[in-house]
Amino acid sequence: MWWYVGKRLLQTIPVFLGATLILFSLLKLRPGDPILNLAGNKPVSQEVRDALAAQYNLDDPLFVQWVLFVKNAITFNFGETFSGQPVFDLIKDTFPVTVVLAVMALAIDAILGIILGTLAGLRRNGAFDTVVLVISLILISVPIFVVGFVAQLTFGVKLQWVPATVGGDWTLSELVLPAIVLAVANFAYTIRLTRTSVAENLTADHVRTARAKGLSNRLVVRNHVLRNSLVPVVTYLGINLGALMAGAIITETIFNIPGVGNTAFLAIQRGETSTVVAIVTFMVMVYVLMSLLVDLLYAVLDPRIRYV
Amino acid sequence: MTEQPLLEVKDLKVGFRAGKELLTAVDGASLTIYPGQTIAIVGESGSGKSTLAHAVIGLLPGNGHVTGGEILFEGRDIAAANKSQIMSLRGSSIGLVPQDPMSNLNPLWRVGHQIKEALVANGVATGKAADQRVIELLEEAGLPDAERRARQYPHEFSGGMRQRALIAMGLAARPKLLIADEPTSALDVTVQQQILDHLDTLTETLGVAVMLITHDLGLAAERADHLVVMYRGRIVESGPAAEILQAPEHPYTQRLVAKAPSIASLRLSSVKERAHIREQAEQAASAVADKIAHGTAGLGVGSSDIVVAENLTKIFKLRGARPWESVDFTAVDNVSFTLRRGTTTAIVGESGSGKSTVARMVLDLLPPTSGRVLFDGVDVKSLSGKQQQLELRRQMQPVFQNPYASLDPLYSIYQSIVEPLRTHGVGSKKEQEAKVLDLLDKVSLPTTVMSRYPGELSGGQRQRVAIARALALDPEVVICDEAVSALDVLVQAQILELLNDLQAELGLSYLFITHDLAVVRQIADEVLVMQDGKVVEAASVTQVFDNPAEEYTQRLLGAIPGASIALGS
Repeated sequence: MWWYVGKRLLQTIPVFLGATLILFSLLKLRPGDPILNLAGNKPVSQEVRDALAAQYNLDDPLFVQWVLFVKNAITFNFGETFSGQPVFDLIKDTFPVTVVLAVMALAIDAILGIILGTLAGLRRNGAFDTVVLVISLILISVPIFVVGFVAQLTFGVKLQWVPATVGGDWTLSELVLPAIVLAVANFAYTIRLTRTSVAENLTADHVRTARAKGLSNRLVVRNHVLRNSLVPVVTYLGINLGALMAGAIITETIFNIPGVGNTAFLAIQRGETSTVVAIVTFMVMVYVLMSLLVDLLYAVLDPRIRYV
Repeated sequence: MTEQPLLEVKDLKVGFRAGKELLTAVDGASLTIYPGQTIAIVGESGSGKSTLAHAVIGLLPGNGHVTGGEILFEGRDIAAANKSQIMSLRGSSIGLVPQDPMSNLNPLWRVGHQIKEALVANGVATGKAADQRVIELLEEAGLPDAERRARQYPHEFSGGMRQRALIAMGLAARPKLLIADEPTSALDVTVQQQILDHLDTLTETLGVAVMLITHDLGLAAERADHLVVMYRGRIVESGPAAEILQAPEHPYTQRLVAKAPSIASLRLSSVKERAHIREQAEQAASAVADKIAHGTAGLGVGSSDIVVAENLTKIFKLRGARPWESVDFTAVDNVSFTLRRGTTTAIVGESGSGKSTVARMVLDLLPPTSGRVLFDGVDVKSLSGKQQQLELRRQMQPVFQNPYASLDPLYSIYQSIVEPLRTHGVGSKKEQEAKVLDLLDKVSLPTTVMSRYPGELSGGQRQRVAIARALALDPEVVICDEAVSALDVLVQAQILELLNDLQAELGLSYLFITHDLAVVRQIADEVLVMQDGKVVEAASVTQVFDNPAEEYTQRLLGAIPGASIALGS
């Protein structure tokens, strides 16, 4: 087990370095003079130019610049925005709401998806299964911005059950609707994955053996069907949480939620490349961390993985 | 007998619903088991023997139903019982030892926990007492170091150990009837023997009645006092084992007794037949050799030793305990043999003995670590260029074990057989078509199968297609890697016969890889017995069977089921 954990930890290092290398290359490949960019595209004197170059190590060899880039990323030293605010502070202000939103969406997704998927899988080809399948197909086919705008219009504007937008001082109840919208797209996949997995496990030989032992149906389903079926589902959900945390750009923009996704979107609109790269670097780190957690969880669920 | 029967099946009918159709799997089966008695149900796949067993324990798959008849267990009808009544019988009154030990344990739970479940569910023991009982049960099933084993997961067990765990599970709540559904067909012969011996002793001491399901008549006769032969859903014959073997009445049983390799291998007649075939094959082969020696087509010089393996060794690097370590694993250790033109050399060994690795090296699909393979005097490694390698592939063709996996399900039979001809650019379209027709005729398949797909054929038919495909390029050597292992006994006998006929007609040379010594006698001339990558015995077939020199060979021979049965002819 500890070898497995150690190996997974070691594997995150090349993933992280590779991702930063790509981001760094993109940063270097963007057109235009970086110093002009820094100064807001106004002509600068040679002294200022030299000072800026020294400050941002622009005269060092590319490799050294990359090492500095990685070092800054690890120490959360992401530089400053155009307005002089440290990017890390910006992330610190916006990340919590994104995390809360992502966890809420994931909870809805997991609870409803697994319950509905299991019920559908246990009675495959029944009426319930067919209805769930059709609904999930509809949910998969409708793009998230359509669901988002329709939900906002219906529940926020027309029915006024919830506020239409969230804004700066967010509360948990305001996030419910965006979380549902965010969950909807993934939730259909969770249902389908759980359903297939349950139906497959239900016909497994070891399930028949469990019945032959004299176990009740409830015990067979709980201990031998559900647990086995959840292995792939948990993997999928975990990867999803990484994706959700790395910014639900569309949902955050629709509901005006001051999260990481929204901030990244605004930075893109303003053309603040360095801020965008900093946020993306941070997201990469979150994503790598989440997949590491998923891998560890996977090993907890399936003993065979621990010895690979 | 005045004793009350334990289980009485009366005129049982079981059907499967497929769409609107109702397919009858068991059609009017009747049998009786008394307490402590062992009966065996024998039949080929699809004969309904497993369905009958599953009906008795109420575990028919979703679309299966008892459509008529009664299953009386201690006088109560199971077929008419409700779910909770059947559930209370399972485990405590009727136990099951399933077929495939690899898939019948839940991979996510410790082995001990899975056995404990059976104890708890049947109210035998709970908590600490149950844990203790689990260890006793595992010890009883013949698993050493049971305390540690109980804490391990199934993937840490070998196949034989898993089957022992499943036996412990089946007997956990001390049922009165144990259904053993092909309990050892997935295991090596020597392991099979150990496990069956153990099961015998165990059920005898506990006084458990056993319903043994098997496709192997020899095994059934050896283990049970009463045989029930099933064919196409019906019970065609039943009675004392010795009687059925000596004087089978139904044509199907007669064929089984005559053809099942485990029994046929005991007969002297199969030796004579083989000698006859060999004579013909060698004549045909020398004609082929003549043509090669004087022609320009093909590799080789037309020598009589068509394949020579010299000191073949294969070492695999395995991952060690730590990521940066690697362990050398010698899969094949200094193996040499000669395959003479027109004859068959069999390589026999249990799983992990390295026999398939040898086959892959001979086929030039895996480079040997050291040693070399000579094909008709030409070192396979010295072949340069695609042209020569194609030539080698043409002259040496494989037939693999699993006819379900080795045919592309999306290719029609015609496409499958014609593909090698196209790849090698042999003949025009017309000629290719004629060749396919000729091949189908050779393997005794009707021409109508050409337009069908593998999914529509039976296992035996598929293996015939695989043989036809191998023969498409007129090879001189055919390498059969467990070519009959996945088939039913009678189909096995048919395919062996076909291979023999083809050898006599075309002068083919076979390298026949198998784990089953029983089939060897009908097809092979020379035998190589392998164990742990080494050749432990190499001799002629008669010598290996009549006068085995090595202890390991003797054990393999002794493990052929039915070896102890006296036969009439």
